[in-house]
Amino acid sequence: MSKQINVALIGNPNTGKTSVFNALTGLNQKVGNYPGITVEKKEGVCKLPRGVKAHIIDLPGTYSLNASSLDENVVIELLLNKNDKDFPDLAVVVSDVENLKRNLLLYTQIKDLEIPTILVINMADRMAYKGISLDLEYLETHLKTKIALVSTRKNQGIDKLKNLISNYKDLSISHCIDLSEIDPAYFKNLQSAFPNQLIYKLWLVITQDVNFGKTDRNEIDAVANFKTKSKNDLKRLQQKETIKRYQFINDVLKKGQTIDVANAKDLRMRLDRVITHKIWGYAIFFIILLTIFQAIYDWSSVPMDFIDTTFAAFSEWTKNQLPNGAFTNLLTEGIIPGLGGIVIFIPQIAFLFLFISVLEESGYMSRVVFLMDRLMRRFGLSGKSIVPLISGTACAIPAIMATRNIENWKERLITILVTPFITCSARLPVYLIIISLVIPEGRFIGLSYQALTLMFLYLLGFGTAVLSAYILNKVLKIKSKTFFVVEMPNYKLPLLKNVALTVLEKTKSFVFGAGKIILAISIILWFLASFGPGENFNNAEEITKKAYSTENLTSEELQQKIASHKLEHSFIGIIGQAIEPAISPLGYDWKIGIAIISSFAAREVFVGTLATIYSVGNDDEDTIKNRMAGEVNPILGGPLFNFASGISLLLFYAFAMQCMSTLAVVKRETNTWKWPVLQLIIMSVFAYIVALIAFQLLK
Amino acid sequence: MNTIIQNILVVIAIILALGFFIKKLFLKNQKSKKECGGGDNCGCH
Repeated sequence: MSKQINVALIGNPNTGKTSVFNALTGLNQKVGNYPGITVEKKEGVCKLPRGVKAHIIDLPGTYSLNASSLDENVVIELLLNKNDKDFPDLAVVVSDVENLKRNLLLYTQIKDLEIPTILVINMADRMAYKGISLDLEYLETHLKTKIALVSTRKNQGIDKLKNLISNYKDLSISHCIDLSEIDPAYFKNLQSAFPNQLIYKLWLVITQDVNFGKTDRNEIDAVANFKTKSKNDLKRLQQKETIKRYQFINDVLKKGQTIDVANAKDLRMRLDRVITHKIWGYAIFFIILLTIFQAIYDWSSVPMDFIDTTFAAFSEWTKNQLPNGAFTNLLTEGIIPGLGGIVIFIPQIAFLFLFISVLEESGYMSRVVFLMDRLMRRFGLSGKSIVPLISGTACAIPAIMATRNIENWKERLITILVTPFITCSARLPVYLIIISLVIPEGRFIGLSYQALTLMFLYLLGFGTAVLSAYILNKVLKIKSKTFFVVEMPNYKLPLLKNVALTVLEKTKSFVFGAGKIILAISIILWFLASFGPGENFNNAEEITKKAYSTENLTSEELQQKIASHKLEHSFIGIIGQAIEPAISPLGYDWKIGIAIISSFAAREVFVGTLATIYSVGNDDEDTIKNRMAGEVNPILGGPLFNFASGISLLLFYAFAMQCMSTLAVVKRETNTWKWPVLQLIIMSVFAYIVALIAFQLLK
Repeated sequence: MNTIIQNILVVIAIILALGFFIKKLFLKNQKSKKECGGGDNCGCH
């Protein structure tokens, strides 16, 4: 009786591996558990030509040999342990024709274990729908194996697979990649410490604590003075290994696989063909952006007005309920207006994240990343920079942290340096209040000027980031680019629960994160604006009355003059007037100057600061917007927030590095103060110059 | 609420606000290590 062949069926989840198993074994199968664990073990017998039998094990689905779960660990333990009774004579790697690139990662790993391997490309019946064609001969040569093109749904290719299994001894066991190339010195040491072991097996043992034979990581440390690397270094080498494998797979598939999107017939491909089209794709994205910004304005105006008037009324109510005194003033002129300055933006922030969340959930965002990748490559950035740049629309901090998966240091540095140009949610309150003050409410083909301005500012931030990356790319000279793999998920209807949770979490994080800083700044600003040194402040009432004794002012007008005089001679007034000469060419007064300085803690503090400064000494029940609209330019006369100064402020905030947390994170990620300091100086100077030019041209 | 109590409350509020900024500026790294890298709750606003 001939020997039974041990065959392991291995593959990524959802590749139809179990269907292949069923097609091979028919009813000759049994289900059990792997010893000691509850992972299901499926075995069966397959009758092959010439009376040969194959004992087939359907191993749990795994994406790679870098195990992260018990199921995946089962696969690795079996493949590394030659003494196991189930150790395969042959591995059959099942892949899905639609995800060949991702599936081949596991294939190259198994191949490098020197186990005879057959590649099954399943779901072959989908090829026509997807416009996929394969050069099997080319693939077999370069993947150094035999390939069975199978469709279990149509029962095609199973006989060929059986034939290949019975002739498994003819299969090559040569490697796909030379592992030692990723760190020659390290792997040379490893090989000389264990001359009789397969280097890739040793590597898997070291990286994954999987025991095989008598060698384990502890022994590797002890024997022959072999020094293994730190966990971080090992992880870095593992990443390099994965990149090298994908480079190999990309090279093979470049010629071995053709995807003709124009010939694709299924709905997803049809949608993708339009949505990722080199012209229509961008046009659709542009229209979606327009719709989002228009909706943000149209839908949130009612709740915003409601919040604004509620806070003004609440401040007035508090003043009437509490006895007169410093603490009452702190509440009504400092804390309540300051907090109102941030709460008012909840509707717009919530709507923005609602749209982003819907786009993410529906699968459209992955297509945007793909579109942007195509665009960014022209400016010298790789696709891996896109994820940080897109997440920078929420906040630059996690975006900069997300650059950690960019292996190339210069590419990572450029991404870190340009990310703060992306319009983050903290800029939104500043943009919204200034736009509402200086941009008229008219419409152009149904789109409001205000929404168009907001969208322009988002595009301006993105454009500046890309352009800066291009310049930095020329200066820093990146030689090699990292690879970026993005899997396009299927389109689906967004789950209401997921969308609601995202909106809630993001809005909460925005309000509570900013709220704490704004609360603290409001208290300090109120103190600085309510007290001052010298006669000018303490005798403000007498001085003002004397100055206006000849004019017939009403009592209300006189009170306003006194409040204004006190504010000018308060601590904050003195500081503000000291910096006024530097900012007056930009069209700003000292109050805006104070708001710019305090918003260095966080950009959104700008609105809260102005709300607090304008409230001190003011008894009117008025909204923040109305108070800002009523401010008069002390030098030029007319409204302080006019078109020229408004545009100048918008541009200043679009380009300035007004965020100390971002600078701290850049320092931590680059491990030096050089880059954040350069970033701060260049961005601030650039913002100042642009704002200056804008004001001088438009005034 | 008389004037003295109001003044005391104001002083407490100012001390708390200053304390918040001192903590944010000088003890920032501890907070960052704990919360950054995940969601957006990284203390950046």
